[in-house]
Amino acid sequence: MAFISSGYNPEKPMENRITDIGPHKYDEYFPPVIKKNFGKWLYHEILEPGVLMHVAESGDKVYTVRVGGTRTMSITHIRELCDIADKYCGGYLRWTTRNNVEFMVTDEAAMKGLRDELNGRKFSGGSFKFPVGGTGAGISNMVHTQGWIHCHTPATDASGPVKCVMDAVFDDFKDMRLPSPVRIALACCINMCGAVHCSDIGLVGIHRKPPMVDHEWADQLCEIPLAVAACPTAAVRPTTVEYKGEKVKSIAIKEDRCMYCGNCYTMCPALPISDGDGDGIAIMVGGKVSNRISTPKFSKVVVGYIPNEPPRWPTLTKVVKHIVEVYAANANKYERIGDWAERIGWESFFKLTGLEFTHHLIDDFRDPAYYTWRQSTQFKF
Amino acid sequence: MAKHATPLLDKLESGPWPSFVSDIKQEAANRNKNPKGLDYQIPKDCPEDLLGVLELSYVEKESHWKHGGIVGVFGYGGGVIGRYSDQPEKFPGVAHFHTMRVAQPSGKYYHSKFLRDLCDIWDLRGSGITNMHGSTGDIVLLGTQTPQLEEIFHELTHNMKVDLGGSGSNLRTPEACLGQSRCEYACYNTQGMCYQLTMDYQDELHRPAFPYKFKFKFDGCPNGCVCAMARSDFAVVGTWKDDIKIDQEKVKAYVGGAIKPNAGAHTNPKWGKFDIQAEVVNLCPTHCMKWDGSKLSIKTADCVRCMHCINTMPQALHIGDERGASILVGAKAPVVDGAQMGSLLVPFISCEEPYDEVKGVIEKIWDWWMEEGKNRERVGETMKRLSFQKLLEVTDIPAAAHHVKEPRSNPYIFFKEEEVPGGWTRDLDAYRKRHQR
Amino acid sequence: MAEKDVVVDFLKSKSASKSKFYFKDFQELFPDKGPRDVKKILTQLVNEEVLEFWSSGSTTMYGLKGAGKQSQAEGEG
Repeated sequence: MAFISSGYNPEKPMENRITDIGPHKYDEYFPPVIKKNFGKWLYHEILEPGVLMHVAESGDKVYTVRVGGTRTMSITHIRELCDIADKYCGGYLRWTTRNNVEFMVTDEAAMKGLRDELNGRKFSGGSFKFPVGGTGAGISNMVHTQGWIHCHTPATDASGPVKCVMDAVFDDFKDMRLPSPVRIALACCINMCGAVHCSDIGLVGIHRKPPMVDHEWADQLCEIPLAVAACPTAAVRPTTVEYKGEKVKSIAIKEDRCMYCGNCYTMCPALPISDGDGDGIAIMVGGKVSNRISTPKFSKVVVGYIPNEPPRWPTLTKVVKHIVEVYAANANKYERIGDWAERIGWESFFKLTGLEFTHHLIDDFRDPAYYTWRQSTQFKF
Repeated sequence: MAKHATPLLDKLESGPWPSFVSDIKQEAANRNKNPKGLDYQIPKDCPEDLLGVLELSYVEKESHWKHGGIVGVFGYGGGVIGRYSDQPEKFPGVAHFHTMRVAQPSGKYYHSKFLRDLCDIWDLRGSGITNMHGSTGDIVLLGTQTPQLEEIFHELTHNMKVDLGGSGSNLRTPEACLGQSRCEYACYNTQGMCYQLTMDYQDELHRPAFPYKFKFKFDGCPNGCVCAMARSDFAVVGTWKDDIKIDQEKVKAYVGGAIKPNAGAHTNPKWGKFDIQAEVVNLCPTHCMKWDGSKLSIKTADCVRCMHCINTMPQALHIGDERGASILVGAKAPVVDGAQMGSLLVPFISCEEPYDEVKGVIEKIWDWWMEEGKNRERVGETMKRLSFQKLLEVTDIPAAAHHVKEPRSNPYIFFKEEEVPGGWTRDLDAYRKRHQR
Repeated sequence: MAEKDVVVDFLKSKSASKSKFYFKDFQELFPDKGPRDVKKILTQLVNEEVLEFWSSGSTTMYGLKGAGKQSQAEGEG
């Protein structure tokens, strides 16, 4: 490999340096029909799962075909998306906040050709490349984090469990039979760099063992004060220990204070936290961000721990699918999972779903815990 | 022949949902074939080593990545996340595998030319693997080595005229819903405000000087498609003040079955015929609607703009004309003290360019938080520690009943000395004249 | 003492135990200055290649360029 210079001169980093130019302006890549009717849209209709029609005051129509995308995506795949955009949409396309990709055309016949072509393309392994769907009262694409593919503190993988869950609920990606939309999200640890705490179904990787301390390397690899400062619960402190007959500077963990966030491992690789047997996934349900009918709410933990079962996470997918089915059979039209659980009462939620209620599900973390206990004689037997 | 056997990952190629394993494999094949004849600047087999190290994680159920503090390009304190493999000998192609965040256009509209140019840079100088997009909204280029960081930055800024996004204790890449570009509910130009503020605050985005991360998100209406209220320290959510506009003929068309309710979002036959009384009027959270069989009326003073009736009959009902936004402050994910939703600070603010009113609120919050916030404390936590009253004080916003769900239920009021006649300096001798010891 | 020297001397005095500091730690060196002015001093030092950033991804710290154990541990030093 011969190093190819971009023109950057490392001796003079400030020479011809361009900084602070930000993103491209949002309207630079508007398809013409979007540019023309900006701010003048009148109404929309979902023609079929994955296909939207927006009608402007001018009478213009734009047909949008939405396809599921994997968040982790190769440039070969992006180039294929570009080929399709070039063929049908003048090169224009967009992504949604839930990792879906949208193609827009102004002609209904073109929309149908585009839709069929997208549905027709498959990977050599057999999965769809561009499944059309993800609209209305169904299950849209999951938002998720990195997991084992690139994160240093994950308690589970992300892309893998997402693939398995989306396979399990694929029919609902392609349909709109549910009482309301169901938003599923996955964060591979409690730090939730992809916040899942307001999802209808939130899957959260959890560690269950405090970090180990590598006394031999702690002082060599790490600046101990930085690891101490990284801990949000003051569970990490400096100490001196005997290691192989010598006194060495190291770190002590107050294990009952540890909330397994992994922040100390970020600062200090001598504090590994991952543990194949200890790590797994908690399931939270009933959150929402929309203000529609009821106000936004947090998801609540309904399953405290499911072990990691790669490659297909069978227990996790079974529980998620089961929750969706019980919700579909019992909720009223327009009720999100959280609205339904609140209407029937959480004790009924556990009865209907058959999920086991354990002591792990009672909040014991600081002040907010009290407000979740029942201060009433009103409950259902 | 693949470099590493991946029997576990191979099980993720079946099933209907797009397989990221199949996708990484096709990138590995592409790099082996090298159709463009590129002199790859990082190891050619990095997609294969990425699959190899991931397969190892699938066997052991543990991650093999270490964090690196390298932040990449000169003068910037964010935009690059350092990553190293803890098995560099087995997987040399991903021994160093840093991430770069590239600023996305708000609303995420692209032309294939832009994406192809980006792919070409990443083909030559990176792994060929991306995230479209990361959790905050950036385009994420997943996996390159340190000597390429400045080269990529140079090509992004010089050839593509695009910048890096944020990471660390700074303003993170702001994000907006698609807003007025394709949505009839958008109460203001979310993309415009997002773009303008991103440009105005480039220094805050690239050069960290905050106690912790700070996120803006812009939602055009209370439906909240970018989750601003749940995910951003500073959420601007579109709203309006006047009447919901009603087209009574279209209401009748919905009632008569000529138009599919809820924009066609519900296809389950078990819901039966549309029932405006049960599905709209009775579900209104404030019961401010009436349907008399021929006319729908809404008592605007009681409406809380939840969007349900508009979502259900989008051809008949439209957002009002006196438009702006509400500002909610302090949302965050659970660590440490539990998750927080944004709390309403400004009930209504004008959203006209150049957005000076909104910026005024932002800058007052920043000045306060930069002074008073502790290390690693999100502004929502500073608010909890120092009180909502303090936030009102520093932003010059008078307290209003809108700010609370209910008034306090304890009488432990911290009065200020100047609020009490005569202050706190009292005359003990005078008191003693009235009272024995 | 020049403002930039105050920063460098502070970092050198602490170098035995810690090589990286949060922004707020520098604010304490300049009690009469607001955060924006302190940021200007630090930015100048970064541009002169005296200081460099270190980030945990979620937070960011400042330190003397090349100082600390982490840069060696990362094999990039």
